[in-house]
Amino acid sequence: MYHLSVLLWLPAAFAVLGLLVPSRTTRWVAVVGALLTLALSVVLVLDFEATGPALQHVTDATWISALGVRYELALTGLNMWLALLATVGFAFSIVWAAMTPLGVDRRAKHVFFHLGIAQSAVLGALLAQDLILFVAFFDLMLIPFFFLTAQFGNGDRVPATIKMIVYTLVGSLLMLVAAIAVGVLATPPGAEVSYNIQEIAQRGVPEGSQGWLFACFAAAFLVKMPQFPIHGWLADGYKAMPLPVLAVFSGVLSKVAVYGFLQIAIPLLPQGTADLRWVVLIIAVVSILYASTVALTTFNARMVLAYSSVAQLGFITLGVMSLRPDGAAGALLQSVNHGVAVFGAFLAVAILGHRTGSEDLRDMGGAATKAPVFAVLFVVVTYAVLAMPGTANFVGEFLILRGTWEGSAPALAIVASIGVALAAVYALRLFIRSSHNRVGPVIQPREGARWELALLAVPVLLIIALAVHPQQTVEAADQAATRSVLSAAAAVSPDRARDILADDPSAQAAAEAAQSAAGGTGAAGGAGGAGAAGGADASGAAGAETAIDPATGQPVDQTAQTEGAGR
Amino acid sequence: MSPAEAAWIVLLLPLLGAVVLGLGFRVWRGITAGIIGTAAVGLAFVFTLITLFGLLGRDEEGTRQIASSLYDYVSVGGVDVKMEILVDPLSVVMLLVVTGVSTLIHLYSIAYMRGDAGYTRFFAYLNFFVFSMLVLVLAGNFVLLIVGWGFVGAASYMLISFWYRRTSATKAGIKAFVINVVGDVGLVLGVILLLKETNSVDFLDTFHSAKETFGEDGSGSLTAALLLIMVGAFAKSAQMPLHTWLPDAMEGPTPVSSLIHAATMVTAGVYLIARLHPLMELSPTAQTVGAIIGCATLLVAGTIGLVQTDLKRVIAYSTMSQIGYMIMGVSAGAYVAGMFHLMTHAFFKALLFMAAGSLISAMAGEQNMNKMGGFRKAMPFTFLAFVIGGLALSGIPPFSGFFSKDEILAGVASEGGWHWILWGAGIFGAFLTAVYTWRMIFRAFWGPPVPEAKELEEGHLHHAAEHRNPATGEIEDTGVGFPGPEHHIAERAPAMRMAMSVLAVLAVVGGILGIPHVFTPLEHFLEPVFEEAHALHHVDTSITVLGLIVGSLAGIAGIAVAYVIWAKPTTRGEASTAISSGWQRRFAPVHRLFVNKWYFDEIIDLLIVRPVRGFGRWAHDGFERLVIGGAIVGGTTGAVRGASAVVRRLQSGYLRTYSAVVLTGAAVLVIYFLTQS
Amino acid sequence: MSTGWYLAVSAIVFAIGAGGVTTRRNPLLVLVCLELMLNAGNLAIVAFARMHGATEGHVFALVVMVVAAAEVVVGLGIVVALYRNRVAVDVDELRELHG
Repeated sequence: MYHLSVLLWLPAAFAVLGLLVPSRTTRWVAVVGALLTLALSVVLVLDFEATGPALQHVTDATWISALGVRYELALTGLNMWLALLATVGFAFSIVWAAMTPLGVDRRAKHVFFHLGIAQSAVLGALLAQDLILFVAFFDLMLIPFFFLTAQFGNGDRVPATIKMIVYTLVGSLLMLVAAIAVGVLATPPGAEVSYNIQEIAQRGVPEGSQGWLFACFAAAFLVKMPQFPIHGWLADGYKAMPLPVLAVFSGVLSKVAVYGFLQIAIPLLPQGTADLRWVVLIIAVVSILYASTVALTTFNARMVLAYSSVAQLGFITLGVMSLRPDGAAGALLQSVNHGVAVFGAFLAVAILGHRTGSEDLRDMGGAATKAPVFAVLFVVVTYAVLAMPGTANFVGEFLILRGTWEGSAPALAIVASIGVALAAVYALRLFIRSSHNRVGPVIQPREGARWELALLAVPVLLIIALAVHPQQTVEAADQAATRSVLSAAAAVSPDRARDILADDPSAQAAAEAAQSAAGGTGAAGGAGGAGAAGGADASGAAGAETAIDPATGQPVDQTAQTEGAGR
Repeated sequence: MSPAEAAWIVLLLPLLGAVVLGLGFRVWRGITAGIIGTAAVGLAFVFTLITLFGLLGRDEEGTRQIASSLYDYVSVGGVDVKMEILVDPLSVVMLLVVTGVSTLIHLYSIAYMRGDAGYTRFFAYLNFFVFSMLVLVLAGNFVLLIVGWGFVGAASYMLISFWYRRTSATKAGIKAFVINVVGDVGLVLGVILLLKETNSVDFLDTFHSAKETFGEDGSGSLTAALLLIMVGAFAKSAQMPLHTWLPDAMEGPTPVSSLIHAATMVTAGVYLIARLHPLMELSPTAQTVGAIIGCATLLVAGTIGLVQTDLKRVIAYSTMSQIGYMIMGVSAGAYVAGMFHLMTHAFFKALLFMAAGSLISAMAGEQNMNKMGGFRKAMPFTFLAFVIGGLALSGIPPFSGFFSKDEILAGVASEGGWHWILWGAGIFGAFLTAVYTWRMIFRAFWGPPVPEAKELEEGHLHHAAEHRNPATGEIEDTGVGFPGPEHHIAERAPAMRMAMSVLAVLAVVGGILGIPHVFTPLEHFLEPVFEEAHALHHVDTSITVLGLIVGSLAGIAGIAVAYVIWAKPTTRGEASTAISSGWQRRFAPVHRLFVNKWYFDEIIDLLIVRPVRGFGRWAHDGFERLVIGGAIVGGTTGAVRGASAVVRRLQSGYLRTYSAVVLTGAAVLVIYFLTQS
Repeated sequence: MSTGWYLAVSAIVFAIGAGGVTTRRNPLLVLVCLELMLNAGNLAIVAFARMHGATEGHVFALVVMVVAAAEVVVGLGIVVALYRNRVAVDVDELRELHG
């Protein structure tokens, strides 16, 4: 099965191709590449069976055998929609860049080259099933943005870029150390080191070290999203980036961090998650409130969206750390929704900026008078940003709030819901100050250009499509999310895991299926010879609070991912 | 066609109308847009009738509750939400009110909004609002209810800020929306709490299992959940303390005020409490809270209405007050009475707003009552509409308001004990209602005609020389985003007269649906829905009769007082405010309290708005720059820079240093290996 | 004569050369001292070769001389080129490759 490698490297291939063709045609090559990747990802997503095995379209090859690092990709319920979001986002952004002066800049080749590499890196991070591969792609996806911002950005771009890169890389470095440590520590004596995620989950990481390991991973992800108080790079970084690049940076890259939590930090380090989750929860809630209040006082349109992203990601983090399937599925849904909404929002800010020459809200006003179509599209995006009931964003928020209420603490949900009210204020304020009221002093009112409106219609249509049928986005995620949080929930208390299994019969079936598969081949001493028996023991000892499967009365090895045994 | 199918069509027709109008907004010329919009809602009304007859054709026992679902909306982790509607007598009653009154208001707007640059947009938004309200009413589970709730809030926002170039309008819009979102949040949290206990968001499932899950005495979590849900109801229905958005919402065009802020949207809270009655019955605390809030609101709103000088705001406060009655009624268990009053109130309040629109047009957009007077001769039809609406509102027999209001009061009183205080407050409120309603009518129509009225008597409709915002005095134009240049009065627009006549007739004879102990078809129809409600069956005849008599006396007394204070001075040639200004001076502090709307806006500003803004500004200007930017980011990058600076010093560039390092290193290595062996 | 004396001379000459390389500022003198170091090394190689009776040492000494010659050519070429483009030739001033 070659599909996933094709998907992964196609954007990079087109990036290189763009370098080779004459400058005039580079942007169209890039557009074609992006649309092809998008089509391919749609095909793959449609092909995914929600009730099938956990990992589908697996690609597996040896990469650095001396270190035990494998090149393994797979499509799962967790990354499926995020991968689709990534391809949509990059296609959107590349088409946008192609139509702006960036596309005809004499260094346009560089722009599209970097965007292509970035897209491959993002897809790689999402599809990777090997820990070191994930870390490699995670770090790689930042580099093209360094060049894009430093070369093509606005204002004080070089210091801003350096700040952003250094800051994020410090976190990523911690993650690299932690990743290596996880792989090494999880290896039972005598077995080979493996960084395969399912394998590590099966082997289990010693409980004593899980705390600092989780902290390292969390540091990297929380800086990326970003969350308070480590969001310092946000202000200057967002101001410096060109808008098409910013749209994809804000909409897509932050979600890789969310995915990191659900794919790696929580399943592999259940005890660490259980010990440190309140730290992350508090960070998330503070981020929501802090960022929302800043968003509703700042006059820079970009900054409103920047802080709004921080707040939204705070909600998503709450959902992830609720350690419940509904919270985690809600977080995934919200990731997709927020990404789509953000694409539209940044494009709208760009369109407004063209008319005023500035992004200051005080210069804007009354854009709707001559641009009614734009205003309608913008208001739909605004409704999505503030998660109005009826949009899929609301469904995500509902699930997250419920997960937080049941899984964390009711008080936390109540405090977080203040953020919902604040979101209404800052989102509407942005819309009203830019499009309503009297026509601003500097603004030249005119309707959006055809391509601007057509491009803006894309996120709007996606918002409407998601709003009408949110179930399709959640369906595949349900089982994957349950598997992801189950062991951590068990680490917090066995009752939780029991509740989750009772609540969601499909999860129970999945857990049973996983158990029987692992039990069958585990007894036969599956991968790694003595490793399997040792691994079962190690995970039994490590996960001291493994839940008892109510149906079979045996300890459920929830972390047994079938692929590990089946390789 | 089954009732459920008809109900789906009812739901989708206004949406279709909105989409058609929206997509073709540059295509529709003249009144085509108005006709399309009205037709969409009118057809919906026809299908509502089909639903009604379909339901009536069914046997009464249990088959009149139909749940119909299309597909799975979201289903994950124990939360199972379907796209489903619930068709039962309660929702059908609401459907009738919503589609019926909406059709009439659309008809009215065809004439009223002519000349406005946003004509098509208006009808698109209005159709979308009707769709949203129908989602709310027909929702079969809590999540879909919240979706309808949210859509209605959005539609309300868009219609309040319809004239979006007016800063006063956009401010009012965002205020309404944010308070609505606060209500949404309460609703969401309440539903989550309910979900925890019942594991289902479906209405029928929750209601059927309510008794086993919660027990008879009102478990704590049920009360908490209901109180949170009632926060949502209060925000939507403009009950204290979440009522401050309603007067400002009068910034919207008059048909909007008529439809949304009188007849339909603001009644959603009443509908919600009635819908959740199985749960309300199990929690006396929640019922008490609702009744008290409703009662308090009806009194406070009444006092404010006494001193308002803006015509539409008087009617707005009267709406608030009347909804207080309804909330009080459904909270105390008088569900049918509450719904009855909802229906009759829709008739006469919509009528009053329509008439007010006509009067404001005659004043070329001026809404201040101080500038009005003596329109009796110039606008006979409008005057008649006001009178009919006013009589119904004041609860004078045999108008509809009389029967419905007193049925509520009777239902409340029959609960016994301290509920008699509520009854008394309700009677006093009826008195106040009559006073401020007829104050409005007398001030506008009695006495010597003002210049605009004189102009009209001569056959010429007054036009302002330059267009101004009536509230702030700012200069405007008549392009998109501002009101159009034309003004339409009922006397000259057949469409307006048609709509108003229908409502007037309904306001007069609507009471026929609920003449106590004589003819009560509404009660029969709704009875199966509220089977378990105890208040339905225990209303004593004596209480009813007492209420009817005292209620009418209160209304008549109010009209008389209003006549004496505001109408009589004009017969002596003085200004209509001659007597009332004396009262104002004598009770100045009380007057100030009322004029400042009991300082709710100021309190909210002080407690919430200013701290949040202040914190945001401090965070943005101070904290972000100094702590985050300076210390944390600066610190990290500074540390990295510092470390690299230290390392950099090794690269001095001096050839000598390099060679010295090489030699020293080599020497160390050699010595090491030599000593090793 | 015992080999020790030759080694001692070699060491002294090497030390003098090393000291010169690290302290002299004139590039010509740095090159001269470099030559001293190389030749001291040569002397040590030849002494040991004589001691062990191995001819490989002598051969290697010749190789070292060739390398030294080549290196001097290149080094002097650089110095001459520098001299042609700059007034003062001072090693301390040739530090553009600093961090």
